[in-house]
Amino acid sequence: MKLSLSTAAAPSLSLDALDDAARGRGLDGLELVVETGDVAVLASRARAAGARIVALRAERLLDAAGAGLAWLSGELSVPASVPLAAVGDLPALARRFADAGGTLLLGVGTDLDQVVAALDALRRAGDGACLGLAWELRPGAESLKSSSAVLLAARARLRLVRLHGGGPEQREQDGRGVGPLFVDLAISGYGGSIVLTPSRPEELPRWSDWLSSRRLAGCGSTFPSGEHELDVRDVEPRDRLATILGAFGALPRGATLKITLDHDPSCMYFALEESQPAGTFEFRKVGDGPEVWNAEVTRTADA
Amino acid sequence: MANIELDVRVIPPGEKHPAIFRTFDALGAGEGFTLINDHDPFPLRRQFEATRPGQFQWSYVEQGPAVWRVLIEKNKA
Repeated sequence: MKLSLSTAAAPSLSLDALDDAARGRGLDGLELVVETGDVAVLASRARAAGARIVALRAERLLDAAGAGLAWLSGELSVPASVPLAAVGDLPALARRFADAGGTLLLGVGTDLDQVVAALDALRRAGDGACLGLAWELRPGAESLKSSSAVLLAARARLRLVRLHGGGPEQREQDGRGVGPLFVDLAISGYGGSIVLTPSRPEELPRWSDWLSSRRLAGCGSTFPSGEHELDVRDVEPRDRLATILGAFGALPRGATLKITLDHDPSCMYFALEESQPAGTFEFRKVGDGPEVWNAEVTRTADA
Repeated sequence: MANIELDVRVIPPGEKHPAIFRTFDALGAGEGFTLINDHDPFPLRRQFEATRPGQFQWSYVEQGPAVWRVLIEKNKA
């Protein structure tokens, strides 16, 4: 499974700057959003940047025949996704992509009727290897109730999942069915690409922050005694352990750290148990979700 | 069963651990899955030890700095 970033996340960054940022985040490459018809320029820019382009995305065919997109897809050896509604004569398009050595993916939402229509279109176009499906997942804007049925229907032809959100928008997607869906996807053996893309243009400043910085808090200082509050809900998941362990490390004997989280704090207990000498802390869970959890850690002995 | 990969970087914070345990519980004896994460999931290993003692094998495939991959296998009964 490959996790990639759409260029829609930072339209003003150069391809190599964005690829560097993606690398820093451990992402496997970029999805290049194609808006202009000048595919030769795009291809040479992509090659010059040396960026790891793993997919193309176009809201509509760049020219009536789709020849430019087919050429670019073949030239860069990556699939191009286009919304189902923007695709006209699929059999002709399929031939064009096959001739160019490219791959065309029909973009569908979490909508069984749409998936069935797309599968039908694929079948009528000959079900070639140059065709497939791209699932447009919008947890913030649509119900994922039918996602199991969609996955079951689409699975055999599914080549790409575009997650609108994720990244810095992850927290808002809590409880919307993203977790169970990706479990189903994993269990089904899906090994294709997942592309992260902003859910709407208003989110771009957050994506820009997310790509350019990592926030760390709570490390390197010493707290006075008494009670201290630490809300890690705005700290990125991957920095939370370091934040909490750093804050605990700065806690004098007898002092308590009150932690606010948006998930079950059990993992923080196990992190303390693993990393701190036995008998140096007391851990209490306070309350039990479903949106906010609290935990209190008291230092009972010096390390 | 096919090669199973669960990338929890796309799963919201409150759903990560339930998703991981659901995936593990869905495995048959002797099967495994690769967990992909953006930090070292060592507390999760302790949680596995506490809740599913003796039922799993834990092998790091990649250890940072940006991505961690762990093969988690369910022991044969």
